[in-house]
Amino acid sequence: MTKCIHCDEDIQIPIYNDGDENHHSPFCCNGCLTVYNVINFKGLEKYYEIKRQSAIYKRRSPVEERKLQFRFLDNQEFLNDYSYSSLSAAPTMEFYLEGIHCLACLWLIEKLPEYLEDVEQCRLDMQRSVATVTLKAQGLFSNVARELNNLGYKPHPLKRNQSTQNLRNKEERKMLLKIGIAGAGAGNIMLYAVAIYAGAGENYAQFFNWLTVVFALPVLFYSALPFYQNAYHALKNRTLSIDIPISMALLMGAFSGLYNLAIGVNENFFDSLTALVFLLLLSRYFLNKIQEEGLSANDLNFFYEGESVLKLMDGQFVETHPQFLEVGDTIKVSTNEMIPADGIITEGKTLLNNSLLTGESRPENVGVNSLVYSGTINLTNAIIIKVESVKSETRIGKILKQIENGWIHKSPIVDLTNKISKYFVAGVFIVASILFLSLYYQGKTKLALERAVTLLIVTCPCALALATPLTLTRTLSRASKSGIIIKNTEVIEKLASVNTVFLDKTGTLTYGNLKIDNFNILKKSAYPLLQVVASLEKTSTHPSAKALKEFALKDSAQEILSVENYKEIMGTGVEGNIGVHFYEIKHGSIFEDKILIAKFSLKDHIRPDTKNAVSKLKAQGLNVKMLSGDKLLIAKSIAESAGIDQENVFAELSPETKLSMIKEQSHSLMVGDGANDAMALCNSYVSVAVLGSLDISLRASDIYLTTPGISHVPQLITISSETMKVIKRNLVLSLLYNSLSVYAAFAGIISPLVAAIIMPVSSLTVLASTLIGTKKLNLLLNNKKEL
Amino acid sequence: MEVITLLIPIALVLALSFIVGFIWMTVKGQYDDLETPAMRMLIEEKNLNKKNNINTKEEKK
Repeated sequence: MTKCIHCDEDIQIPIYNDGDENHHSPFCCNGCLTVYNVINFKGLEKYYEIKRQSAIYKRRSPVEERKLQFRFLDNQEFLNDYSYSSLSAAPTMEFYLEGIHCLACLWLIEKLPEYLEDVEQCRLDMQRSVATVTLKAQGLFSNVARELNNLGYKPHPLKRNQSTQNLRNKEERKMLLKIGIAGAGAGNIMLYAVAIYAGAGENYAQFFNWLTVVFALPVLFYSALPFYQNAYHALKNRTLSIDIPISMALLMGAFSGLYNLAIGVNENFFDSLTALVFLLLLSRYFLNKIQEEGLSANDLNFFYEGESVLKLMDGQFVETHPQFLEVGDTIKVSTNEMIPADGIITEGKTLLNNSLLTGESRPENVGVNSLVYSGTINLTNAIIIKVESVKSETRIGKILKQIENGWIHKSPIVDLTNKISKYFVAGVFIVASILFLSLYYQGKTKLALERAVTLLIVTCPCALALATPLTLTRTLSRASKSGIIIKNTEVIEKLASVNTVFLDKTGTLTYGNLKIDNFNILKKSAYPLLQVVASLEKTSTHPSAKALKEFALKDSAQEILSVENYKEIMGTGVEGNIGVHFYEIKHGSIFEDKILIAKFSLKDHIRPDTKNAVSKLKAQGLNVKMLSGDKLLIAKSIAESAGIDQENVFAELSPETKLSMIKEQSHSLMVGDGANDAMALCNSYVSVAVLGSLDISLRASDIYLTTPGISHVPQLITISSETMKVIKRNLVLSLLYNSLSVYAAFAGIISPLVAAIIMPVSSLTVLASTLIGTKKLNLLLNNKKEL
Repeated sequence: MEVITLLIPIALVLALSFIVGFIWMTVKGQYDDLETPAMRMLIEEKNLNKKNNINTKEEKK
């Protein structure tokens, strides 16, 4: 079957450009022909090159070998698990779509009901790349998925309730409500408080006082709930939290305010306290928001399952979802597909890309009775597999489970603010008791109690609690714009104590695919050599063949010669006749009529920015080590060109040994890109995942770089140390303000009015200090090029 | 100063109505996705098939 060279569709009756007698460029329709000509006429033919390359990059040929039918989506068993009813009782399913990025995508996908009869409604959430599709009565989800796939957005159905999104939405709504109510309360209280401070008449003052209490109660007893909860948990677990002194101050303030109301004193701290609740909630909310960017660990399982699989049922291969595979099933895996379960090959020979599990760059030869693992990619031939274990029982499934556990059990560190809170609480209590006792022995019991309570309220560590989230929010949001997504704020503090950097080789230091390293022509051939190479390797999907093809077509398009008696010999190479000559490409050599005419070697090339980054890391006083699943010799040569010391190269490691190496080293930073690094990543002190072919799984590590390579890692370390400087400065500033209020309380000059001035001023100072940042930090965060 | 007896109730009613509005919107989920709707409104709605109209599209017509 010929394929349209513009859109890659199969063609029934091809049409050609005028003058294209050789029928080089077939088209399916006049539309494609016109577009193709326009693109070429405008000198934009690179489009096709890019399209081809990006398809290789994504490990998908432009045309799927087997058109995905998505029939399994109509299976009742599947629907029970994945679809749910909309408000109007119509079946609804959520799909995660690959490749959503702009307005045009939104337009195209939400137009679905207009060109697909099955669909009643389609809504896209761009933040999550999730489309919610509601069907009409007779609609089928398989049609929807096929259409989406044809549009270029590969759909992955999301299991109902599997995504924690609903829960997260509810949580977020609650949080928003609390913030909104706190904001409204604080704003309104300010109006009436100012009136009291300005000296409202006795009647008015009493009335206003009532109003402030009415507005303050929901803020202090609803919006502030998270503080009380955190404080309670911290006390229960005997850990420290800045929320403990905050809750204390809030509750003290609330009860003294109510008491004053009861005894008819028109004085309370509600204006300061409500504003504090509002500010704190807001700053924490923003910090959370930024951390939520990208995928959460909960969403990643389905990427390893693949989207559909051919299963033998009643003598026929039927498409089904990997979800329904069972031990003992027989499945067929075509070229360029991911193997969905562990099993044994019963038919066929092929090459497998094992890099997901081993990190090895070279493909592995497998044949009948070979054990194959889920998650590996079948490169050259279709194979039949007898399933031995499925889902979480597979090797990759077990690794994923460990990863999940690893992330859950990663012991949290007590951050600087919370560490201070211990001394803070102790200090405040000591000072308050001194104040109380000194006045008590003077016989002023009532005054002593009042002052002590006031002290506890006004030393509320408002600015102290604001200092960290504000600074982190700024750093995180700026960093994410430059392609550094920090998912876990603790790492900023942790990074400062990192002493060893472990780097993964394949895909992190290198490009992760083979390229021609040396190409020596030894003897002139009958046809131009590059033409021969391009023609012979045209259909092979072996990584070496791809590298050769790329090399042959690098400088100019080669005329493809017709090859007769073409044969691909598994694990060896290709051969065939061109004209009267017999050509072979095997084992790094090219033969013409059995005479050696050229030699070539393949290598996984190092990224150009690696060496620079490594030397920067070394200059920062870090110990740089390389971990690789690849052969020692290859690893050493890469290490040499990267500038990593030979004794720091560790090769031929399995995921499990990588893990134990990481565990031995405390304060380690691990940079990796594949699932073979994943176990090591989740057990390292700080983990950084870089963009790579298997990126999606690792977006759940502490830090995710949206750029390939390690060039951002040295900057990351500088950013964290500079951010810590700002945090520390903020903490010092806020403690200064607190000492000021302690002094005021002792001197007895504190009143709600003074508190209303000190508290906002201290918060503003912290805010200003955060915005000013440090010179280095601003440079790093503002200048994209520097990053 | 007597005018304050009129102004304060007005201020309170205003404040309360905003708070109620805010709670309502939040509970209804209008703040769940802040990115997509901003983009959605940039898309022109012209050749709409009447049968397939969805609620928000109808409002625009």
